[in-house]
Amino acid sequence: MKRILIDAEKCMGCKNCSIACAHARRPSGSLYDIALSDPETESRNTILLDGKKQYKPLFCRHCARPSCANSCMSGAMVKDAKTGHVWYDRHKCAQCFMCVMNCPFGVLKPDRATGKYVVKCDFCKDRGSEPECVKNCPTKAIHVKEVD
Amino acid sequence: MKHVIIGAGAAGITAAKVIRENRKDDEIVIISTDDAVYSRCMLHKFIGGSRNVAELSFIPPNFFEENNIRWRSNKTVTGVNIKEKRIVFNCGKCGKQSNESYDRLLLATGSQSFFPPIEGLRPGPAVCTLRDLSDAKKIRMKADNAKNIVIIGAGLVGLDAAYGLVEMGKTPTIVEMGQHILSANLDPRAAMTYQAKFEEAGCRFIFGNRVKSIEFDDFGTSGTIVFESGDKLPTDLLIVAAGVSPAIGLLKSSGIPYNRGVIVNEYLATEAEYVYAAGDITGLSESWPSAISQGEIAALNMCGIKSVYDDILERQNTVNFFDIPSLSVGRLNPEPGDVVHIREDQQRYQKVITQNNISVGVTLQGDISRSGFWQYLIKHKIPINNAQESLWKTSFADSYELDANGEYKWAK
Repeated sequence: MKRILIDAEKCMGCKNCSIACAHARRPSGSLYDIALSDPETESRNTILLDGKKQYKPLFCRHCARPSCANSCMSGAMVKDAKTGHVWYDRHKCAQCFMCVMNCPFGVLKPDRATGKYVVKCDFCKDRGSEPECVKNCPTKAIHVKEVD
Repeated sequence: MKHVIIGAGAAGITAAKVIRENRKDDEIVIISTDDAVYSRCMLHKFIGGSRNVAELSFIPPNFFEENNIRWRSNKTVTGVNIKEKRIVFNCGKCGKQSNESYDRLLLATGSQSFFPPIEGLRPGPAVCTLRDLSDAKKIRMKADNAKNIVIIGAGLVGLDAAYGLVEMGKTPTIVEMGQHILSANLDPRAAMTYQAKFEEAGCRFIFGNRVKSIEFDDFGTSGTIVFESGDKLPTDLLIVAAGVSPAIGLLKSSGIPYNRGVIVNEYLATEAEYVYAAGDITGLSESWPSAISQGEIAALNMCGIKSVYDDILERQNTVNFFDIPSLSVGRLNPEPGDVVHIREDQQRYQKVITQNNISVGVTLQGDISRSGFWQYLIKHKIPINNAQESLWKTSFADSYELDANGEYKWAK
């Protein structure tokens, strides 16, 4: 499967990945009028700081054994047997947020604006190109690679 | 090889899928009382009218055909003959008794509603539980014309029923023996948030007053609830949500040993040869993820692939009513010697209980963003990292590692 690989040592914490992710989902507007305080501007990824102030990029791994999909009781979160990715269908979602509680890495969250769906990486599958976060990383701390 | 699975819930469906993934040519039969596959956790959405039966399903519409599974629905299994390797069932439509042989059997019947021993309380036209789709259908139908809807029990099932009814425009009265709602799921502070919302929606709560008896009229269509205090409450729709217990009725004369649930070993095998169990019937856990995980492990063992069930079981649940999400893992209330950390504002309430710097309980309400790591910390007893400025900065960052495939793992 294709996965976004992370080299945390190369991350400078610039958050271009987060802005690119949030901007990619906006219905309109340019990058220059994006407001991070707008509840509808939400990134699927984020960068954590550890206790030593080192940057730790937090991106959905589309895990081999996804705890999110295994805790989903509506069939909204499903591991794709062909591509290996974990897809989320907000129309099927019942807002129980068991996936949020069960993601061991704390990647998932309910959306800020409505609280009615889960903010989840979709690998930019409908955009027909490499994920926006990867395209916008200036240090190549993230890149797409075929893995087992 | 012929695999027979009793029950079409989370455990049974998962087991069937996993058996098919590993055994292309084996025969798989699912037998269930239900004639639809649905998620019980969504039944309140059917009562409320926001989902139809098809929208309660958690599997793709062509699941049985695609996986070549024979589904015998509307059949209630009444007994297991472990000598002849055969199960006996009643047909729900014609009432006829029939049977099915097996090479490997999975018991995945789930739970059943528990009827508390209250004088005069028995099944009838005005009495419902909320476990099966048929229960939700009955509630939705009866509630239309009911004037005095009463729910006994303010746990998750009772409040699910109440929430569905509120969405129907009804205002049930909820009777709870304890002092606050959701006492198995939330602390009193977090529970109060929901109680206030239910009250705003017109519901009424009666706490700490035990039901002594229920007197129904000759038709069983309406009655009076009599409390120990002497108070009385009329009802024409009574929903009993006083808890569940593993559905072990079919094991009564089978010789398969059980306590509260059926007894299984680490391979989820019962003491009877070729008979396995998964999900609520084991009594190990009542959560959806546990049912999925047990269904998977039992299925692998049924296929001869030795697999140990070693999940760390910790009390956990999420609650979401009125678009206010909550989650809790581990302890709800502190024990002597615990330290309690609380952070709250108008939108959120967050509480972490620690013992010797290890988190033993977390309750989050309002804001549950990116909080999944707490569950892992609690289950694996990982100390809070004191290098962070505050406990609220805790995250996966301090245990951050990646494996060769680019998956995250928790650093040892």
